[in-house]
Amino acid sequence: MKLAAHYNRTNILITVTLLIIGAVIYFLAINYIARSQLDNDLSEEVAEVIDYVSANHKLPKQVDFDEDQTVFIETNQKQIQPRFFDTVYVNPKEKEKKPGRAIESIIQLNGSYYKVIITVSRESTEYLLQFVGIITLGLMVGLLLTLFLANRYFLSGLWKPFYALLHQIKEFNISEKNNFKLTGERVDEFVELSAAIDDMSKRVSNDYQNLKHLTDNASHEMLTPLAVITAKLDILIQHERLPAEIYEQIEDIYSATSKLSRMNQTLLLLTKIENNLIIGNEPIDLDILLTDKIKQFQELILAKQISVTENLRKKEVLVSKYLVDILLNNLISNAIWHNNDYGDLIITLDDEELLFQNTGSPVALNREHVFERFKKGNKSEGTGLGLTLVENICKFCGWEISYNFKENLHSFKIVF
Amino acid sequence: MKLLIIEDEQSLRENITTYFNEDGNVYENCGDLCSAMDKLALYDYDCILLDIGLPDGEDFTILNYLKAKMKSESVIIISARNSLDDKLKGLNIGADDYLTKPFHLAELKARVVAVFRRKTGSNKGILVFNEIAIDLQGRTAAVNDIPIILTRKEYEMLLYFIANKGKVISKAALAEHLWGDEMDMHSHFDFIYTHIKNLRKKIMEADGKDYLQSVYGIGYKFLAA
Repeated sequence: MKLAAHYNRTNILITVTLLIIGAVIYFLAINYIARSQLDNDLSEEVAEVIDYVSANHKLPKQVDFDEDQTVFIETNQKQIQPRFFDTVYVNPKEKEKKPGRAIESIIQLNGSYYKVIITVSRESTEYLLQFVGIITLGLMVGLLLTLFLANRYFLSGLWKPFYALLHQIKEFNISEKNNFKLTGERVDEFVELSAAIDDMSKRVSNDYQNLKHLTDNASHEMLTPLAVITAKLDILIQHERLPAEIYEQIEDIYSATSKLSRMNQTLLLLTKIENNLIIGNEPIDLDILLTDKIKQFQELILAKQISVTENLRKKEVLVSKYLVDILLNNLISNAIWHNNDYGDLIITLDDEELLFQNTGSPVALNREHVFERFKKGNKSEGTGLGLTLVENICKFCGWEISYNFKENLHSFKIVF
Repeated sequence: MKLLIIEDEQSLRENITTYFNEDGNVYENCGDLCSAMDKLALYDYDCILLDIGLPDGEDFTILNYLKAKMKSESVIIISARNSLDDKLKGLNIGADDYLTKPFHLAELKARVVAVFRRKTGSNKGILVFNEIAIDLQGRTAAVNDIPIILTRKEYEMLLYFIANKGKVISKAALAEHLWGDEMDMHSHFDFIYTHIKNLRKKIMEADGKDYLQSVYGIGYKFLAA
């Protein structure tokens, strides 16, 4: 739920509760006042009746009390406390039953006692209450509506810079130049926030650049010692009188050195791709290039007796030749090295996609980790960077690569 | 052949000298830009091995200097940088070849010999080694004047061996030369053996000497005589 919605909900909940409590108190108060008013009137009526009786020494006629209904009942009781109560008032003209209010008292006339009950209609009071109630309700609805609209339009406008910033943060790319700017913002908090984020992103980018330079320099600096090792080994093997087992050791050092140097080159290339430092796109006939590559790998293919099936349709792409070379080298060499002897390699190319399918280990690779750095199979003698490189080259070219394992075929699919 | 090696890493410099030390080659080494410039001002060389990225100086100072002075030295750049741009820039300014670190000494030697051969243009493009004659333009070979038919790989191998005659060449170096670093051989060098075997057979069938020797499984040696 959005912050504005949270705010709205709380706001409306509190407002409604307060309004209801207020309305109840309001109702009770008005009711009380109206009732006291009625009771006052009734007391006056009784006083009038008593005045009338003491002046005229007879009971007043019904007509003397316009709308009010007065009843006299002879009684033995000499004294009762005047009492107010709610009752039913029957309108004499319309014979309608309405809520009424009555008073009961005792009057004395010529030695006998009468109980007098005067009933008045409460209709006007009820009407007043209803009227007040409707106005209150109207006010409530009006208030809620206003609040709701205000929240919706005013508040969301207030939060606009926040969402603008959020959008910029989402677009944040560490290797690019980023600018967190709010134009014409007057809310201090947001100005401060954007300044803080801008500052942070600059620091992060800076650290990242430093780290990248470090990696870059380190990789370059490592190549010279590697060159020294290789040269020393080249000199060392000229001494032909060394024992045979020393040569075995030397061979291992050669292979480790060459792996290290390949790893280094790949890491450098990865950095370059990630920083968009590869330029020079040219139209390339992928089908022709693929055929060439397969020829280039012919010895490897023959050595493992792999049968290669090519389903290549003409496809031209506009990318860096250098990168596509590396991409295809990696994919083909993967499909060969991880293949079984007498295995299959099927390469399919059409307008939409390029598909490499090969036999190999009967177990599927982990689809989530297959392109990760230094994730490699147990038996792999590679650098663990090949598929990472493949993925990054695809990304760089705007292609999409995915891995699948079906019917004992490992397949890598590139969608252009 | 008179060589100048400009490389700031001393041990690498020494190893290159050791490896090249034969055939009456004359070497001079230096490890920084200043002494290199001094030497270039005083002497002429056949070939310069140049490490770009010397501690004191712009990467292409020496190349620019040679170009400005119209000197005829061949230059092979040895660089830790494997960027296409650097390569193209170096070659554009006048370098003859570009080799990325790390490299095998045999590879360096082969490149130097090739550059030197191109420069001197000796013998109308025919390289003669004892009974073997290689037509560099036609990319064909003959032993005792009998033409032998070599595959592309065998031809390249023969040139490589002759440039490094008398040296033990590791299989790793040979594989890198033949297949480049594009194709990752994963240290499986069985393919080399087939090519070696065929080349040896073809030379011997034309009554050539058995030049190719296997050395302790680590590599091969092409006899110098």
